[in-house]
Amino acid sequence: MTALALRQDGPGTETVPGPRRRLLGLVVALVVLVVLLVLSVMIGSTAIAPSVVWDALFRSSAGIDQFAIRDFRLPRTIVGLVVGVALGLSGALIQALTRNPLADPGILGVNAGASFAVTVAVGLLGVRDAQGYMWFAFAGALIVTLLVLALGSTRQGSSPVVIVLTGVCVGAVLGGAREALQLTNPDAFDAMRYWNAGSIVGRPLEVVWPILPFFAVALILAFAVSGPLNALALGDELAVAQGVRLVRTRVLAVIALTLLAGGATAIAGPIAFVGLMVPHVARWIVGPHQRWIFAYSILLAPSLLLVSDILGRIVMRPSEIPVGIVTAFVGAPVLVALVRRKKASGL
Amino acid sequence: MSNTSLMRRGAALAAALMSASLVLTACGSDGGDTGDKAVETPSVEAAETRSVKAENGTIEVPFAPQRIVTIGNTNLPFIDLGGKPVGVTEVSDSDLDVLPKEQRTVYEAAEIVGSSGGEVDLEKLASLKPDLILVQFHSNDWDKIGKRLEAIAPTVLWGLDTEWKAFADAIAEAGNVADALSRQKAEFKEKVAKIQETYGKVIDGTSFVDVSRGDWSDPGTFYIADIGCSEIARDDVGLDLPEAAEGKDPLAYESLPFEQIGELSKYDVITYPVDAAGQPTEPFVPVVETNTWKALPAVSSGRALGVFCPSNNSYGPVIRYLDSLDSALATLPAKK
Repeated sequence: MTALALRQDGPGTETVPGPRRRLLGLVVALVVLVVLLVLSVMIGSTAIAPSVVWDALFRSSAGIDQFAIRDFRLPRTIVGLVVGVALGLSGALIQALTRNPLADPGILGVNAGASFAVTVAVGLLGVRDAQGYMWFAFAGALIVTLLVLALGSTRQGSSPVVIVLTGVCVGAVLGGAREALQLTNPDAFDAMRYWNAGSIVGRPLEVVWPILPFFAVALILAFAVSGPLNALALGDELAVAQGVRLVRTRVLAVIALTLLAGGATAIAGPIAFVGLMVPHVARWIVGPHQRWIFAYSILLAPSLLLVSDILGRIVMRPSEIPVGIVTAFVGAPVLVALVRRKKASGL
Repeated sequence: MSNTSLMRRGAALAAALMSASLVLTACGSDGGDTGDKAVETPSVEAAETRSVKAENGTIEVPFAPQRIVTIGNTNLPFIDLGGKPVGVTEVSDSDLDVLPKEQRTVYEAAEIVGSSGGEVDLEKLASLKPDLILVQFHSNDWDKIGKRLEAIAPTVLWGLDTEWKAFADAIAEAGNVADALSRQKAEFKEKVAKIQETYGKVIDGTSFVDVSRGDWSDPGTFYIADIGCSEIARDDVGLDLPEAAEGKDPLAYESLPFEQIGELSKYDVITYPVDAAGQPTEPFVPVVETNTWKALPAVSSGRALGVFCPSNNSYGPVIRYLDSLDSALATLPAKK
């Protein structure tokens, strides 16, 4: 696989780390994630001693602080982990599928579909709680993505460019319809105001468990198509020459990324920047090998989400800032710095 | 001058002459309200209109307006004072749900002229031929339609920051429903005095905190209420409730994450919002369902009191709030 050993970053050429260094990096990323998971449980808007956190997690003590850990911080951390994994992997998938380093799941209409469905649920059907409109968001994301794929497919087949443009158009139409609904319905506006910011606060684990099987299926599909996606990065003709079944690969990839992005959006609302930035960083670290990019994205994305969430809890104590806002503040400067240092990556 | 205006002036002149003759023939009697007002009425013009000071200046309003349209937050306070508006703007379902039946009937009998303060169907409003428009909404909305409202009928505006008692006084004066206001004020005073007298010993030295959530609250957040009904409990009844520092935003403006529920353990008594049936309000249910809430000393010892606050911008709902607070406080001594 000499073709994969070298990669082009714009005009320059860089060598890619070997398997041992990749593996070492993966272990480091895993350790960082574990540390952040611990910090996420330990740090919050209320100061709680580490010993109390330990009690809360490993003993059945029934103090107020122990309950606070079990009621709020632990579920929030798990939600952050799950949503982060889904966003990172879906971002890596969409960038590989479209061969577009600026792609994120939003361009397939995932966010637009979920947002529109939630607005309808809240504004017209009177659904109020996260568990209630989660399924609307998930269904909206899936239906709109399928619609985009159907509209973006021609008799000659489907091309990433056509699909992306169709996604942008459908997203714009749904965005307009959503805003019209919100302007005429103050209740929907209030509910959507927070949902649109993207947050992992106040999401009980009951919201997460039903989505997990979908994520598991998506995870399997993603790694199953990682090989063909490597070949696809070289162009359709070369991929076909290497025995890749284009339609099958694209359909499976789209199913996987839609399940992941749709599920993450249903749980936390649209959190845009994670799916865009993390696959970039992963690609800079490991080169254009999708399986490694996927693995790194799975570890780095929840790390970014958890760091952002922890910062959101402490910068405005005792109030908090939604994680969707903090990820943009944290992620954007990091991405710009990386871009300036390494130049934009190709696929 | 229109025929209607001429007729109105004629009728007013006749009424003024009759009032004057009544005053002359009733010398030595105690004199009722009507008589007193007649004596104070120096001229025909003064009997027709009176001056009301409002946010939009000093407005000449009819002495006894017959066709009043209420816009924004004036709807329910005016109806609470016994007013019967011919036109109203929509109020929220949650407000309607807690409205007494007779007031709801009055509200539903009025023509809806807009979905909210700033979105008024001016053509429909004008077709009602109002002789007075009462308005309380945001200054931005006033900038949009204020002049057009004033072109339809005398319009009295109050800003959103008008204190509720001053608001009730002003609506009663402009809408000529001062008698009902006097009765409500007397009842309010009596209720407050009764609570202070009955629970004085319980209230003294007890720290309270009022917590709430609204439909608009972000998921996973609540707030400490220091405005609205909580303000009445603190300033009028005398409960020791937290208050924002001078010059700072009210505590209620700050959304607190559920994690902060544990901080409520420093208070002796917690009050929280319930509906008319005494159940936690729908937005507050997620708070009472948490184990952290259940573990609070005040909650586990029965000193978390559900209090019904239907509204806080006129005396009627505030009196209902005081009744609820009275009942809630009645459960305290035995448990303390």
